[in-house]
Amino acid sequence: MASLIEVNDLTKEYKMGKITVPALNGVDIDINEGEFVAIMGPSGSGKSTLMHILGCLDTATQGEYILNREKVSHIKKKKLASIRNQRIGFVFQTFNLLPHLNVQKNVELPLMYAGYSKRKRTELAKKVIAEVGLTDRRKHKPSELSGGQRQRVAIARAIVNNPSIILADEPTGNLDTNSGSDILTIFSELNLKGHTVIIVTHDAAVAKRANRVIHIVDGLIENGDIS
Amino acid sequence: MAISLKESIVFGFSDFWSRKVRSLVTIIGIILGTMSIIVVLSLVNGINKQTLQWMMERGGLSKITVRRNWRYDNPNKVRSYFTWKEIKLIRSLIPEAKYMNPQKRYWLRHSYEDKEYNCSIYGVLPDFSKIEEWDTEDGRFISEFDINQSNDVIVIGTKVKEELFGNKNPIGQFITVHERRLHVIGIMKHRYMKSNNIGSDNALGYLNRRTFVPLSTMIHKGTGDDNISSLALKAQDAESAPELRKKLEAIILNLRHGEPVFMIESAQEEAEEMAQSQKTFQIIFFIISIISLLVGGIVIANIMLASIQERTREIGIRLTVGARRRDIFIQFLVQTVLITFIGGILGTLVGLSLLKMVSGYINIELIAELSMVLIALTVSVGIGLLAGIIPAILASKLNPVEALRYE
Ligand SMILES: Nc1ncnc2c1ncn2[C@@H]1O[C@H](COP(=O)(O)OP(=O)(O)O)[C@@H](O)[C@H]1O
Ligand SMILES: [Mg+2]
Repeated sequence: MASLIEVNDLTKEYKMGKITVPALNGVDIDINEGEFVAIMGPSGSGKSTLMHILGCLDTATQGEYILNREKVSHIKKKKLASIRNQRIGFVFQTFNLLPHLNVQKNVELPLMYAGYSKRKRTELAKKVIAEVGLTDRRKHKPSELSGGQRQRVAIARAIVNNPSIILADEPTGNLDTNSGSDILTIFSELNLKGHTVIIVTHDAAVAKRANRVIHIVDGLIENGDIS
Repeated sequence: MAISLKESIVFGFSDFWSRKVRSLVTIIGIILGTMSIIVVLSLVNGINKQTLQWMMERGGLSKITVRRNWRYDNPNKVRSYFTWKEIKLIRSLIPEAKYMNPQKRYWLRHSYEDKEYNCSIYGVLPDFSKIEEWDTEDGRFISEFDINQSNDVIVIGTKVKEELFGNKNPIGQFITVHERRLHVIGIMKHRYMKSNNIGSDNALGYLNRRTFVPLSTMIHKGTGDDNISSLALKAQDAESAPELRKKLEAIILNLRHGEPVFMIESAQEEAEEMAQSQKTFQIIFFIISIISLLVGGIVIANIMLASIQERTREIGIRLTVGARRRDIFIQFLVQTVLITFIGGILGTLVGLSLLKMVSGYINIELIAELSMVLIALTVSVGIGLLAGIIPAILASKLNPVEALRYE
């Protein structure tokens, strides 16, 4: 069976004026459909960089990224937008909600770009908001919510289009232990429902819930296939 | 699946609403910018026009006048008036003059039935009406025939008509002046120009308090002398007026053996002098106009650009959840167009009403010309559109991570 995600010899360098900062130095990863993968590694090791490339939010300097048997580097920009919209849900450490929109509208955002009717958008968004337990906060602005609640909004937004892949970059990094653990439970449940979940974390407890842990140090995978 | 153009326009609108405060602040910025540009440009233009209008009302820039020079104390008692013979000589020496009107003036009692009115009465030629660019409203002006026959006819100003005849039609009636019955043949057009002197509302009101008779009638049947105290001429055009004035000055000086008992002035030269003395003003006004354009533009650009960081992050978020570049572009276009056009239109309205107020206050008619409204709108809407859309285009070209990280 072919992998959902296949990464071969991936390199990423950031250009800062004349200096180039290497972030990924030849990464190889295979992830199958339905896996729950934790990515761990020290700060600055390239975890976010890898996640952004996997999420089609950034492009690699060199190497191959094959998503669903399609080479991402060959995909047109328009199609990439639709991949981000339909197949990937991204959850950030800093939530990245739109501050002037309420919960309902934030969650509807991916549906807008998917071209759903207003009625359908309202319906689908309501459903996922209920799933993350925020039905009574639908009309609230992000600033009126706690960190844990904001992250749940972000998760609702990530899953509203029912993507096959959910990427979360340190989703509990800004949260206290309790709400962090709630969030992780949500990711576990999503994985049980069939979503492929890839999550970056420092937390060994999180890693325990995963089927597999990928360790990354200095832009390299350390011991890729040990579960 | 992707969104249609119509939907992205709708989203642009709803986005505009969802951030009412920011939209409002930006609109106010554009209102202020547009308004200040319109007000300043019209103010400058109005003041310049006022001066020019005065010149035009007085017979235009090609007019030349010859009057007694009161500043010359005339020690040799040289004659300070022209005889009819001299007038004819002067006319023959300056065939290039388009019109020439010698005139005599008295202050006399005019009576009709039991009413009386004291005012200036002028003896003139038909050319008077041409030089002053002032015709009759009713009846006719003095003709060549009236001059040749020294007819007992009179043309009156509107104020004279009002005082002597009230609502009655004066034409065909007889006014008695200096024991002579004069047939009323015409009423001059009413003259009016908004005055910027407090206390008088019509800067040209004195002209309505005059009457006119054929110069020949005044000379032969009135005073009996042909002392003509002043002359007015019209050159072919404003450009040739200074030339004609110099020639006329030479001729008249020659007639009086070099003694400057007459003052010969051309409106063109006066206007030039005035323009010269106004130059400093004009430069200041010009600078004010440019500053108002800049300030208006900067206010708008500043408000639009102030939110770039926030907007770039927003664009990053939207790109992350699947927006295409086109979606982003249309959203910001709709928003910016809405904001700038609402601001531009309101700014124009506020500017125009402000002008009306200022206009009443300083007593100068300030009407914004279409060109000024267009300049103001071009600057404010143009800068608003550029400042709103260009950053959005640039931001939508970033990849999502770059946009999210923007600082
Ligand atoms: N935009 C950027 N410009 C320059 N260097 C960057 C940028 N983003 C990340 N880096 C560098 O790349 C390396 C990996 O960063 P990152 O992927 O954020 O690590 P992690 O998420 O594991 O902490 C670090 O050395 C970091 O300083
Ligand atoms: Mg990171």
